Amino acid sequence: MPRLQWTRATSATLLALVGALSLTACSDDDDTTPDSGVKVDAGTTTDAGSDAGTTDAGSDAGSVDTGIPWDGGSAGTFSCEGKAQTTLNFAPGQEEAFQDQVNTLAECTTITLAPGTYTFDNAITIRKNGITLVGAGKGKKGEGTGGADSTVLVFTNAAANSNGLDVVGDRFTVSNLAVWNAKKDAIRVESSTDVVMRGVRTEWAEANKESNGKYGLYPVKSKYVLIEDCEAYNAADAGIYVGQTQYAVVRNSVAKQNVAGIEIENTKYAYVLGNTAQDNTTGLVVFDLPGNPIKGTDIRVKNNIITGNNRNNFASVQSSSSTVSQVPAGTGTFLLASRRVELTGNTWGNNNTVDVAVLSGLAIESDPAQWVAGGLNFASADISIHDNTFQGGSGDNVDNGNTSQSLRPLGAALAALYAYGETQGTLGVEHLLWDGLDPFGHDRAQLNPINICFANNTLPTGTTTAIVDLDLQAAATLAGQGNLPGAWAKTRHYAANKAEFNCSGFSPALTIGDFIQ
Amino acid sequence: MNPRLSVVLLALSLAACGSSDPEGPRPTPDAGTSVPDAGTEDAGVPDAGSPDAGPVDSGTPDAGEPDAGPPLVIPNTLSGYGLFTGSPADGGLVPVEGNVPYTLSTALFSDYAVKSRTLYIPPGKTAHYEPMAALDLPVGTLITKTFAFPADLRKPDQDVRVIETRVLVHQPAGWEAWPYVWNTEQTEATLATGGRSRDVTFIDTDGESRSFKYSVPSKNQCQQCHHLLDDQGAQVMHPIGVKARYLHHNNTYGGVERDQLEYLASLGKLDGLPAPADLPKAPDAFDPQAADLTTRARTYLDINCAHCHNPKGTAGVTSQLFLDIGTTSMFSLGECKRPGSAGSGVGGEFDILPGNHAESILWYRMHTEESGKMMPQIGRTVHHAEGSQLIADWIDSLPAKTCK
Repeated sequence: MPRLQWTRATSATLLALVGALSLTACSDDDDTTPDSGVKVDAGTTTDAGSDAGTTDAGSDAGSVDTGIPWDGGSAGTFSCEGKAQTTLNFAPGQEEAFQDQVNTLAECTTITLAPGTYTFDNAITIRKNGITLVGAGKGKKGEGTGGADSTVLVFTNAAANSNGLDVVGDRFTVSNLAVWNAKKDAIRVESSTDVVMRGVRTEWAEANKESNGKYGLYPVKSKYVLIEDCEAYNAADAGIYVGQTQYAVVRNSVAKQNVAGIEIENTKYAYVLGNTAQDNTTGLVVFDLPGNPIKGTDIRVKNNIITGNNRNNFASVQSSSSTVSQVPAGTGTFLLASRRVELTGNTWGNNNTVDVAVLSGLAIESDPAQWVAGGLNFASADISIHDNTFQGGSGDNVDNGNTSQSLRPLGAALAALYAYGETQGTLGVEHLLWDGLDPFGHDRAQLNPINICFANNTLPTGTTTAIVDLDLQAAATLAGQGNLPGAWAKTRHYAANKAEFNCSGFSPALTIGDFIQ
Repeated sequence: MNPRLSVVLLALSLAACGSSDPEGPRPTPDAGTSVPDAGTEDAGVPDAGSPDAGPVDSGTPDAGEPDAGPPLVIPNTLSGYGLFTGSPADGGLVPVEGNVPYTLSTALFSDYAVKSRTLYIPPGKTAHYEPMAALDLPVGTLITKTFAFPADLRKPDQDVRVIETRVLVHQPAGWEAWPYVWNTEQTEATLATGGRSRDVTFIDTDGESRSFKYSVPSKNQCQQCHHLLDDQGAQVMHPIGVKARYLHHNNTYGGVERDQLEYLASLGKLDGLPAPADLPKAPDAFDPQAADLTTRARTYLDINCAHCHNPKGTAGVTSQLFLDIGTTSMFSLGECKRPGSAGSGVGGEFDILPGNHAESILWYRMHTEESGKMMPQIGRTVHHAEGSQLIADWIDSLPAKTCK
């Protein structure tokens, strides 16, 4: 893999950095910066004031809602117990009858789909509680037809703009089938409680197509969601996406060849366990979007493999406004506008841009007004990264060397900075990157005011620096003036055991996942 | 919509209402029940003597409560409702007496389909006027909308092929939508709960031949457009078009021009109607003489988009983009507003970039035919050239500013 080569960035590129990073609006107006009232703390345990780098040992623990002890099972009020439960059986060739009956289902109906290929010209739209949809198996990656022990739902010639499965209903289960070439989202479940997706594959036939459907597994605005033993390939946004949801478990699943492998967005209480996210543009992401009224928090990411996510960002096109379309290729994990996140037992490596990035929401949307809906939820804080393995081979080819100032400005900025950094002996982006923006405008004497902990991780032999604080605001300003040495001087590079980052998490600890194997 | 297109099915559906009555006895809905007989499939003939689907409505007032009578048993064929006589095959689908044809001053675009609409309010019941929302229609109300394509849009009354009739049924538990698909002989429409796909070909107004797959939505898909959130946040179905502002214009009944709202009131089917001067009126969005550009553009957005993009629609709640006629904030209308999550490549950063339709997501989504990017989410395969031009003109007319 080619290492970053230092090249003299043109002044035009450098000037573009400031604008691209969208920080000008916040840079010189103390009265209107988001600083006042939105210090990171906001109900979490971080103390943004005096005790930089140390947790405040529960002083405001009482204000943190750590959720309920959910065990991953049904937890909503709807139940099929004691109710009439019927089963409908369908085989290939009965698609029309299937569609008709789907629209007149009684609650608590189980639909079984015999092995084979089902071809649909429209979405399968379910609007009843207690529905179970079960096939004979999800088949293997690349299979657009069902076999003797697999059920494949094909939407290649379906109506424009339609999803594959489109569900609103409590206690919904889909299992043991594949959804192939959906026009929009493969499986969309919205505003539902108790959702299970198990042994499901969502796939689009062609890799790297911006016109592929956006999401594979897509529970949104829901509660108590379990995704396990699933696979998602070639989504033009996220293979596995959990959004605007409370209580979600994603485990033992595989996401490959998507723009984002696994995405947790504006979600409270999510447990991401034992998944494999490889060969995506970015492997596993946690973020809040601006303008969304739900404030994401309490996310545990454990025992996942997040390696080799170097796929060129095929959603990154002109006039794209999605968050993931702005992500540089080679990003293992990024946390953006996220709080109370624990990453433990994971493996990162061979991610060309960076293994883990902790970013402020202001890095993508600098206007605090856009974050009002979520209670000014742009700040990241309380991030604990411990007992993980960093294999190496990461951070040495930002955005695959294919940077774009207009489409993926953060990648372009990183590439320019580290191109200079290489002349100073820093050969790549460290394993943990923090943009240094939160809490916005903080005293730079505080090395870690938002309580990022980096402890007990296994690092490649010979690692010297493992953490970087970009001080993105100052660095970008200097870079914009053509002063790369000055910009580089603002960045701070720390060894893994830097005291200010060598902390033990946050308090109270997460509870999501405690009752889930 | 090209004004000419509204002519053809209107002509079909108004045939019975002209000065010459149809031959023979005119079927009437069973006056003894709250709804037409649903239990028989008797091709539109009166159900004299055959048992009704449920207990007879006593006809007593319901003391303000919705009629909690039995739900209508949904017939397998359109003729089972007894709402029409005839069929497209024999020259006209003729509404029976009491099934009142109506038109909208500006209609929702559906792939250039020509539509005809009827409203049936059961005997003894009355709708109540609403100034902004859809008319408050009683349980038992049936709304039909029939979709058809002429072979050549330039000759909209020739070689018309009727595709589907949708029936909105106001059941005791709420509204339901049921799609009926016409057979190739054009003699009967059969319930197609799961929706259907039909190949459609027509020659457009520019003389170009166009072919596409027309989707009859499934029953459940109908909810995607026909819903509003109630106070508990649950999705509840509602009709879209039967709002006073779209009904307040003339139609021909029995050979006489009548205002549709006043006509309904004269039938005893609508009460609470204010004085004519106080009635809201949505113009024909494509008649430059009818209203100014802004009003026409807002009207088009109101009828085409606002059933989802309003503060009580889930899409509106998610996007915070409100396109209903009652929205006054230009930001909520999209001006300089970033979408929460617009996805990829939708033309711009902002819903509306004033003065620049080409970089406005609102216009882009209306104009594109690309799956996953186009709006509305269902009901459209081709784009509405006249509609997207109207919105382009309006956005371009807004004083240009730099959104940031």
